Amino acid sequence: MSATAGGAPVSSDLPPLLGCESCGLVSEDVLAAEAGGAGAAGPRRLVQKCSRCGHVLHARKPMSVQRTWACVVAAAVLYVPANVLPIMTTVQALQHEDHTLIGGILELWGEGSWGLSIIVFIASIAVPVLKIGVLGLLAWTSRHRPAWRRLERAKLYRLIEAVGHWSMLDVYVVVLLAATIRFGPLAGVQAGPALLAFAAVVVLTMLATYAFDPKLIWDDPHARRTA
Amino acid sequence: MSRERDSLVVCGQCGKAHRWRPLAPTSVARCTRCEAILGRGHRGTIQSLLSLTITATVIFLIALASDVLTLDMRGVARSTTLPGAISAMWEEGQQAIAVLTAITALIAPALFLGLRLYVLVPLAAGRLPRGFAACVRLLHLAGRWNMVEVFTIGALLSLVRLSSLADAVPGPGLFGLGAVMILFAGIESAGLKHLWWQVR
Repeated sequence: MSATAGGAPVSSDLPPLLGCESCGLVSEDVLAAEAGGAGAAGPRRLVQKCSRCGHVLHARKPMSVQRTWACVVAAAVLYVPANVLPIMTTVQALQHEDHTLIGGILELWGEGSWGLSIIVFIASIAVPVLKIGVLGLLAWTSRHRPAWRRLERAKLYRLIEAVGHWSMLDVYVVVLLAATIRFGPLAGVQAGPALLAFAAVVVLTMLATYAFDPKLIWDDPHARRTA
Repeated sequence: MSRERDSLVVCGQCGKAHRWRPLAPTSVARCTRCEAILGRGHRGTIQSLLSLTITATVIFLIALASDVLTLDMRGVARSTTLPGAISAMWEEGQQAIAVLTAITALIAPALFLGLRLYVLVPLAAGRLPRGFAACVRLLHLAGRWNMVEVFTIGALLSLVRLSSLADAVPGPGLFGLGAVMILFAGIESAGLKHLWWQVR
């Protein structure tokens, strides 16, 4: 494990540096230098762009915590109808039957497909709950407990960044079932109202993940004011 | 100054600056503060990346045109393709779901491949494509919202659920999506920022 072979820390006497998110070029943080080091938190009217690719450079994502909270709260609210309302309605020999998200998992479990029901449980229940919980925790601690378990919080963020889109699994399953089972009144599948709510939860938690700036984990909001 | 800046790398996760040293092919450099991956040693060249992209594009196009699933119920067969599933959702009145599926399973992967082809073909020939910077930025976005691998596993899951109802058969489209899923992982591991290293 030559883990740190390519990256050696540089001395801290360098000016504040920004890495371009698009091309990776490192630039001096001109605006922070002008504001005397206090520019990272203050409102910015000027925008610095990467000198190589023109991508906008931010010391921190603008309004990061506010946008994260907005998406997390919206996702948490929509998570209720996503679980309570039916995600699909099956028609079999003229009989309509509603299925909820959890109901589908229990059905799979009852049929003996334990492996599958665990996969669906992780993708549809565990991942969205984890994302809402972790993002709430990250947004709260970045303001109120900035020094608390920084490395673990950074790893949690990377975890939800990596697994976030897998909760779309159930949406695709319903889409494919509804598209395939089309035998008129004999057998059919219709998407239920929970599908839209659940898809919105997935998209909102992904937007919240991208709105949150993991660099905030390493900031000290109290030290910045006195500096 | 520019030489010195080129040998610096800032951790995208925590913002700590590191001096960059070239890496051995399979090794990974991690941030000394937050342990995020700073970069990888390069295994492939632009040419190998281009060949992977061409392969993935051909298979993706075939996968789009062929059936993902076929369901046979007492002699009546129904099959669906990926675009077919999206249009079925649209006709059923679930336009939002149809649009979301189209963006994540069709448009994002199409951009993922199409823009790479547009960028890699001139780069392999030693030229800089027009609008290169905008293409790389769009590729970051396409990579973020590309969920073709989730769709593939979703199709497998639907197959299992359908098989309890009637005769369900995986179509060539499903095998194609499976191959695309593996190729995408290979293409993505090369990263996007290193495309800029070709531009000197």
